[in-house]
Amino acid sequence: HSVGAGLCAAGMIAIVPGYISRSVAGSYDNEGIAIFCMLFTYYLWIKSVKTGNIYWSALCAVAYFYMVSSWGGYVFLINMIPLHVLVLMICGRFSHRVYVAYCTVYTLGTLLSMQISFVGFQPVQTSEHMLALGVFGLCQIYAFVEYLRANMTPEYFNILFKSLVIIISSIIAVGLGVLTLSGKVAPWTGRFYSLLDPSYAKNNIPIIASVSEHQPTSWSSFYFDLQILTFLFPAGLYYCFSKLTDHNIFIILYGVFAVYFAGVMVRLMLVLAPVMCILSGIAVSSSLSTYMKYLDGSGSQTKAASKQGKGRQDTNSTQQREGTAYLFVVLMTFFLVTYTTHCIWVTSEAYSSPSIVLSARSHDGGRIIFDDFREAYWWLRENTPEDAKVMSWWDYGYQITAMANRTVIVDNNTWNNTHISRVGQAMASTEDKAYEIMRELDVDYVLVIFGGLTGYSSDDINKFLWMVRIGGSTPEGEHIKEKDYYTPSGEFRVDGEGSSTLLNCLMYKMCYYRFGQVYTETGKPPGYDRVRNVVIGNKDFELDVLEEAYTSEHWIVRIYKVKDLPNRGTR
Amino acid sequence: CLIHFYKRKMRVLALLFLAPLFLGACLAQKRVLVLLENVAVKETHSLYFSMLQRNGFTLTYKVADDPSITLKKYGEHIYDNIIVFAPTVEEFGGSLSAEAMMDFVDNGGNLLVTAGSVTGDVLREIASESGFEVDEDGTYVIDHHNFDTKDGGYHTRVISDAQNMVKSDLIVGTGKLPLLYEGTGLLTDPSNPLVMDILTGSSTAYTHNPSLPIKEYPHTVGKATVMIAGLQARNNARIVFSGSLEFFSDEFFQAEVDTGNGKLVPSGNFELAEALSLWCFKERGVLRVDGIQHSRVGEGSAPEFYTIREMVQFYIDVKEKVNGEWVPFKPTDMQLEFVRIDPFVRSTMHVAKSELIGTTFKIPDVYGVYQFKVNYQRLGLTRISTSTQVSVRPLRHNQYERFIVSAYPYYASAFSMMFGVFVFAFVFLYHSDETKKKTE
Repeated sequence: HSVGAGLCAAGMIAIVPGYISRSVAGSYDNEGIAIFCMLFTYYLWIKSVKTGNIYWSALCAVAYFYMVSSWGGYVFLINMIPLHVLVLMICGRFSHRVYVAYCTVYTLGTLLSMQISFVGFQPVQTSEHMLALGVFGLCQIYAFVEYLRANMTPEYFNILFKSLVIIISSIIAVGLGVLTLSGKVAPWTGRFYSLLDPSYAKNNIPIIASVSEHQPTSWSSFYFDLQILTFLFPAGLYYCFSKLTDHNIFIILYGVFAVYFAGVMVRLMLVLAPVMCILSGIAVSSSLSTYMKYLDGSGSQTKAASKQGKGRQDTNSTQQREGTAYLFVVLMTFFLVTYTTHCIWVTSEAYSSPSIVLSARSHDGGRIIFDDFREAYWWLRENTPEDAKVMSWWDYGYQITAMANRTVIVDNNTWNNTHISRVGQAMASTEDKAYEIMRELDVDYVLVIFGGLTGYSSDDINKFLWMVRIGGSTPEGEHIKEKDYYTPSGEFRVDGEGSSTLLNCLMYKMCYYRFGQVYTETGKPPGYDRVRNVVIGNKDFELDVLEEAYTSEHWIVRIYKVKDLPNRGTR
Repeated sequence: CLIHFYKRKMRVLALLFLAPLFLGACLAQKRVLVLLENVAVKETHSLYFSMLQRNGFTLTYKVADDPSITLKKYGEHIYDNIIVFAPTVEEFGGSLSAEAMMDFVDNGGNLLVTAGSVTGDVLREIASESGFEVDEDGTYVIDHHNFDTKDGGYHTRVISDAQNMVKSDLIVGTGKLPLLYEGTGLLTDPSNPLVMDILTGSSTAYTHNPSLPIKEYPHTVGKATVMIAGLQARNNARIVFSGSLEFFSDEFFQAEVDTGNGKLVPSGNFELAEALSLWCFKERGVLRVDGIQHSRVGEGSAPEFYTIREMVQFYIDVKEKVNGEWVPFKPTDMQLEFVRIDPFVRSTMHVAKSELIGTTFKIPDVYGVYQFKVNYQRLGLTRISTSTQVSVRPLRHNQYERFIVSAYPYYASAFSMMFGVFVFAFVFLYHSDETKKKTE
């Protein structure tokens, strides 16, 4: 758009919380690099559309390869570019430049992306890539049609055109239909299908639904991550629309689709943040330049006017304009300053505070530090054999691997759904059934997180329903039904009213072992759970297949050892 | 160099110091504590004890409630086996109790206990900890069809055929003679997989107090009337529990049994007692794993990791204790499992080179962390359970086939295209039109 817009957008991207959330140390995932790759690819794409050079298109394909190798979100890119080309075709802006750019980018880009073993043959097999392929074909047809139109008489052309269109479209439709029905072209995979149909994941694949980042976004998180960008965004859209060029259309498309997807999944807020910044940068720079012109121009105009001795009305109107311009500039500056402070605050409070060491304020204002996680992991590291295997829920897998240096059964790379489901079945079953599963998985230690003593609410009992859902989602876990863990009235309770399946399952026993004798709050009986705010239902029980190995200081982390079979017979 | 020298010296010294301990340990495997009801038992069971001494056991005799009995000295057990020939003892003397006995078993010691028609509480406790239950006081095993005529008319001295013994030569030997028994019956826990019925009554036997009329169903009838029961614990410790002390007495060893058709046959008690004692005290039916080797076929030592679809050979050296010597064990049904949570390969091992048993198989096409598992449990033998973990990696990028046969057409098309373009370039660049010549 203009250098000023670029600079402004750059400044905004540097501090936007939506992007920082994925690139701080401790919360760093592929997306931190991927966003840079994506923007780089888009930049090169726009450049190649502008110039029509094969050089830029080839560079764009290489940048696309970089993007594919960093994140699975490249699917967004490979659908955005063809969509752009399609929209250009529909708007009648299709030209040789676009043709050259897209053909080069698509062929080179697809070939390069297939080098990544994870992608493999997906670009020709899955539905997510079909749009790109379709638009590629359409490009060829369109260009060919244009060529014919330029070289043939109108009547011949019309007949040929109509017949070709009918034949080709019917062939494509039948072909696609056959391929999809016969399964050669795979339908949309779960992760992406849930973007189109958000209820799909909740009903069919609990593990995707359980990740909190996959939940739909609320308005508050939009504002939290983007602040003034949310309302500068429509302004930027307006400016783009007012000067429609090929690349402006691209930005508009990108912005609109990013908003839709960010609304479906919180995680994709990250994809929205850069385009918000770009559009807001455009808005800010356009509006500022409009008004700055008045400030500069009015200065020279008044000088010229006074020199030439023009009428007072001119000076009045220019003064008015100067006033509004000054007001506007001041207002804009104020907005930008608040934006900066908001970003700094958000980054320090929400995205930089450690979640491995928790702190809380006691009733007398002093700060209590809960260092239980590190304490327990260090205990594991020092007191268990080196080849011990630890079973816990997948959230703590990376932490255990890194700090305790022990093998875990499942970890945050939730790639193997069946395996995680097996762990979920073990947690949700009775002790004897769980013992069979633990022996099958060769488990030596089991680790649970329990917040009932301290009031730490992201503990395993709160996550337990997800374990039940995931455990029951595979064939081996068919006997695990979610409704067994609710009371007859449909509530999830851990007190005396709770369902007996819940009160006797392994997770309950591990979390509340010996808790029935602990006083947690003044005036309440022992065994009062401070997160669920009830007295637990099953208090005095013994563990048959586990023995308690370690409980951290505030009972947040509890570690149990799996007992061997008894020497002289059955239990 | 110096370090090597010192290492070797240390090894030699260590051997010198430990050698006598080893010898001592070998001899020490045969220390038996015999707890007697009273001193007279030593005389009435003299044949049994002399048989044990002949087999190399060192016996220490104590009366069951002798307060000087200790099992442990400085935290270590000073006996390897315990015989309890004291059916009516209520409490053991000294530091001995049922708990101490079970602790002894859980640490690897073997137990041979006899009960009787009147059984003391401590023995009942030992029995229930071992998976058996002794019938009430005053009951006998009664069999009105297979009894010895020399009893008091109650038919409590029963004869059990050799067929009623458990089907394992290692436990009961090869005797075919009938067995003479007078004592109470045992019940074995059916849900305990480690328990075995070594000697049961015939189908006409039952247990009841002979002087009381029968008002309710007897606790055991027929073949479920267990006379001698056994347990092999998960740590391979063995317990033999007999319901009769007289079974081991000189009188029964030398008795002649009237099988009913007038012929007198010597009783098989002595053979059974000997076989049973040798089995119980880990002289028979004992296996040990001396070593495991695994490597790629053709190589000698274990590699750091395997790759998928490689041929692997696995050998295990199993020895059996025969007459006090460890000789190679050659089973035909020992299996090797290659397990990654579930077994991917299960292969029966056969006798291979020089006393090892092993097998060769192909690693499956799936990579991961696997274990070589050998689980061998047979009636009468100690359990073998070994597990060796190895990692199996996928193919490295340069381990794939360099040229794929089905891709030859594509290679041909690519190269022919290159060649064609090259030739075409020449033709295109250096071709001059005919018309030019004509105009000239």
